[in-house]
Amino acid sequence: MKIRITLFVLFVFCQISFAQKVQKDSVETNELSEVKVTTATRTERVLSSLPLPMTIITSEAIIKSGVTRLNEILSEQTGIILIPDESGFEGIQMQGLDAAYTMILIDGVPLVGRSSGVLDLSRVSVGNIERIEIVKGASSALYGSEAMGGVINVITKKPGKDMFSGSLSYRYATFNTNDANANLLWKKKKFSANLFANFYATDGYDLDKNTPLKNVEPFYNFTLQPKIYYDFSEHLKLIVSNRFYDMKMDNKAVIESENYEGDATEKEWNSQVKLEHKWNDKFYSEYELYATNYKNDSFLNDQNNVRYEDAYYNQWLFRPEIRTTLSLKNDKITGGIGLNYETLDRTYFDKNVKFNSQYVFLQYDWNPTEKWNVLAGFRYDNHSEYASQFSPKLAVNYKINNNFSLKSSVGYGYKAPDFRQLFFDFTNPSVGYTVLGYNVAEARLNQLEEEGQLLSRVAGVNFDKPLEAESSINVNFGTFYKKNKLRMDINAFYNSISNLIDTQIVATKTNSQNIFSYSNFNKIFTYGIEYNSMYSFTKEFSLSLGYQYLIAKNKDVVDNFEDYQYIRNSELQTVEISKSDYFGLYNRSKHTANIKFAYTIPKIKTDINLRVFYRSKYGLYDTNGNQILDKYDTFVKGYALTNLSVSKYIVDKIMLQAGANNLFDYTDPGQIPNLAGRQLFARIQYNF
Amino acid sequence: MKTKFLKLSLLALFIFTASCSSDDNNDNTVPAVETKKVSDLNASAGYTKFSFSENKVVTNDNWDIAFNTTTIIVNGGVKMTDAEPNRTGSGAASIVSGTFSSVTLYPAASAFAQDAATVYAIPKGSGKGWYNYDMNSHIVSPIAGKVFVIKTHDGKYAKLEILSYYKGAPATPDPLKAEDTGFYTFNFAYQANSTTTF
Repeated sequence: MKIRITLFVLFVFCQISFAQKVQKDSVETNELSEVKVTTATRTERVLSSLPLPMTIITSEAIIKSGVTRLNEILSEQTGIILIPDESGFEGIQMQGLDAAYTMILIDGVPLVGRSSGVLDLSRVSVGNIERIEIVKGASSALYGSEAMGGVINVITKKPGKDMFSGSLSYRYATFNTNDANANLLWKKKKFSANLFANFYATDGYDLDKNTPLKNVEPFYNFTLQPKIYYDFSEHLKLIVSNRFYDMKMDNKAVIESENYEGDATEKEWNSQVKLEHKWNDKFYSEYELYATNYKNDSFLNDQNNVRYEDAYYNQWLFRPEIRTTLSLKNDKITGGIGLNYETLDRTYFDKNVKFNSQYVFLQYDWNPTEKWNVLAGFRYDNHSEYASQFSPKLAVNYKINNNFSLKSSVGYGYKAPDFRQLFFDFTNPSVGYTVLGYNVAEARLNQLEEEGQLLSRVAGVNFDKPLEAESSINVNFGTFYKKNKLRMDINAFYNSISNLIDTQIVATKTNSQNIFSYSNFNKIFTYGIEYNSMYSFTKEFSLSLGYQYLIAKNKDVVDNFEDYQYIRNSELQTVEISKSDYFGLYNRSKHTANIKFAYTIPKIKTDINLRVFYRSKYGLYDTNGNQILDKYDTFVKGYALTNLSVSKYIVDKIMLQAGANNLFDYTDPGQIPNLAGRQLFARIQYNF
Repeated sequence: MKTKFLKLSLLALFIFTASCSSDDNNDNTVPAVETKKVSDLNASAGYTKFSFSENKVVTNDNWDIAFNTTTIIVNGGVKMTDAEPNRTGSGAASIVSGTFSSVTLYPAASAFAQDAATVYAIPKGSGKGWYNYDMNSHIVSPIAGKVFVIKTHDGKYAKLEILSYYKGAPATPDPLKAEDTGFYTFNFAYQANSTTTF
């Protein structure tokens, strides 16, 4: 570890001194340009002056990488890894926090449909993305629940001036994966429009041919995204944006050695109507109406084609919001007010459930001097099902000089209990245990008791107090350095989450199986450091480095280690271990790193893009009987993946691309089921 | 390297403590308690009664402990359900944290409990008594470091550690194989003498 830190420090200094050397011959102008972003403050800001840790992925970087889905491009970013949860869906882990704690937005409005806690990000195509903004750390002060770990905002392309342009592309890859895109941008005076269409189909992949199920069964999906803009005047602009998504997948299962087959479909619709109103130089307002519906349906038939199981999930979100910004001399005050109306109807719910909430937020973007920027804000959420939340945030940026700034932020984040944690009523058909949502548990337990199905209830467990939201304190401290050919940022982070919701046994049934429900009991913390740098050696060649060191632990384990200090070795003998042997939470790697080379050969209009990603060892579950991950457990070995893409323009308008994801075909079928082998691909794109 | 060293030291420590205890026993007037291992005791079909002094499954009233799926009862106290055998002895149990070999002293009398109408001496349920149940993998795994000091039906003492709940005590059991579930493998040491240590 020590060697690693030394190396790292050495490397940082090398880059700085390198940068200072080149500074003298800075006639060359391959400087890195300023990027404007909106997610962190809901107003336009220059990235480097922001007091919050933030990452931008540009459309150029997306195209050059040759990937097609949101999950793929996100997994190439420092400090973000994609991991499958128990349901098999991949979700993102950021600053060591689970996928349930990151809010995903498209053009500023949230995606819904977390049927088991995570959003399946492969349902978002990257074909029409202008840029992706990633804000790390608690962002509940602007975005409320779910934004406890951060926010990822996908911003789609918009025509800027009068034009008619577009692109068509087709990509073919291993596993018979087809991806076809059409994107049209049109603007004439007051009217502009953008139409995006995508078709994606794949045979899926199978890491173990001996099992009847594939890791990913064949599926196909369509995305259609029409957007219309109308400028009534310079002061009043209308945006109507829609997104339709439709997916169909083979559904297969093996239950008690019997094979079952069926279909699974997914349908999503998002609609946003927004009016941008500039009252005068000082006042600017946005009125936004957002509605979305996420639906999935699946069934399984047995071998005689008799229906065995049906499952469905149907979620609606309706959200009007008004935001107003008052621009003073150097300062900006942004306020917003809105409400959420959410409904969910799904299998294992007794009835259709509804959530109602109202919220208000206020943010003061204060620039007392040229060197200082202070961002202070809060949000207040009033909710129908759980206690109201007050989420403050304070962030400060200090510009030491034009190239170097220090930034720090402290924020409160929270995540409301989800529908499942409140309303689930599920009994496992083959084993017989039951899981009950917190709000329905008491009535259901009483009913089971009357029916004589209960053997005993666990003493001391009651559901009198409402289930509380999980809450966190997040602290970031970092630097941003940019000079000539070098850009570098370092950020240290700390998250402390309390009231973590987990399952506990609340009763035992006469069939000797348990009844589980949810409760607030755990406390966890994560801390670490993230480093990103990019250095352009010449106009043609640049190198990026990213690294994250992460510690993520359960506070109860640290405080009460005596409850976890005995493990069982392979001979089933009990051995005592020490507190320092505690490794931390499951599925967290201490070290993640990436190195990216970008090389352009202007003569032949070719870009070469090579990226290597490393993840150090991690554990998936306890293997030695003490309920925690310690260093004697079985770990998933650390590994590196390499992605390569080569793009070439044959004429100005036609791009050819070829490459490989997971070039060296690394797989670990037993422990990393979401890691497919090598995928070769070729793409042709026509721009007009 | 570091882990190897640790493993070696652990091994060394184990050998050292193991050899220590046998030395002590040689010097003592009280004969050594011997650790015995019972493999694959079938508890999948009703209560199976076990006697520590006889080191075997018994059908009479001289049992000390009985197993039925994940339930473990002692021969002392009262019935919770009709399916249980009658308590005829003065049995009780106390739960101690530690490695099996580290438990040498009898716990205080107040630390012992008998089976009661609402709660067993070794409480039932995941994380409460002798096992943890994983909702995702469905595996029932004995909690490491839980040693049960059992007062036998006739007032003697034994210490007990459960090792596995699955036939053949595999490292990674398959809980969906019902025919292999409910088979106890455990270590016990029985003290036949009137003393307060193992």
